[in-house]
Amino acid sequence: MHLPPWFWLAGVALVLWGVVGLFQKLCTNYISAESALICAAAGWLFLLVWLYPGSSMWSAYSHRNMGWGVLSGTLNALAAWMLFSAMRRGGKASVVVPFTALYPLVVVVFGPWLLHESLTLRQSLGVVGSIIAVVLLTRE
Amino acid sequence: MPPITTQQDEREPLQSPWRAAWFWCAVLSVIGWGCFAICAKLGSREIPAGPMQVLFTVGALPVALALLASRRFRLEKSAPGLFYGTAKGILSGLGGLAAFAAYRTGGNTAVITAATAMYPMVTVALAVIVLRERLNWRQILGLAFAAVSLIALS
Repeated sequence: MHLPPWFWLAGVALVLWGVVGLFQKLCTNYISAESALICAAAGWLFLLVWLYPGSSMWSAYSHRNMGWGVLSGTLNALAAWMLFSAMRRGGKASVVVPFTALYPLVVVVFGPWLLHESLTLRQSLGVVGSIIAVVLLTRE
Repeated sequence: MPPITTQQDEREPLQSPWRAAWFWCAVLSVIGWGCFAICAKLGSREIPAGPMQVLFTVGALPVALALLASRRFRLEKSAPGLFYGTAKGILSGLGGLAAFAAYRTGGNTAVITAATAMYPMVTVALAVIVLRERLNWRQILGLAFAAVSLIALS
């Protein structure tokens, strides 16, 4: 069975983010979710020691695409902040967390328009199944 | 990427979610993570995973600093909490690297996003192994859906 290259890379992300979920549980036994996000940013900074390719990076790529990269980080962190705010403002974790797991739907809806990509029937069923799976998995 | 579990809030949500602030915060969270995936794809078309993770950090830092300022630059003094939190950041950064690399391969963005979004299956499995937690019937059904979905997406 031939698996596409993205499958293995996505698998690595899935496993690592799965371990992150466990650390999130352990972490919030001691500190608040907001503090956990601040600590996570410290972890991202720590990685830059190895990842930062030098100042030449800033002239190697188009400003537009670097803007997308920066925006991805801002949106990710803001989304996490909004999740914590939702729970702080009275949303129950058992409702809010499965609800936020619906985020791939945004890509399904806007992907064809913004990225000019389309899904096969089989892929569509896989996406729907994955969203159902995550909602079920994150229910307390 | 949404955390699996955060601190539980025992207050009951308002009866009409449309009027509740928490509901709109959750909606913004969904939009934020969805747009994160789209931005990650758009940037990864030209920029390799390493520099993308650098740019991601540059973008996330102001939010983390704003959050820190909102807490008057004070964090809880818990060594295990700070350790797990920082380790979480390192691991999520490494996961981000893999995700940026996956987007760069040219695979379908919705498919890659849906595949990586199933990370709670790993968390749930680890929670059983490491934390000795028990699965409820929904989570068992969720694992089955995840397995079938991964086959369909591949």
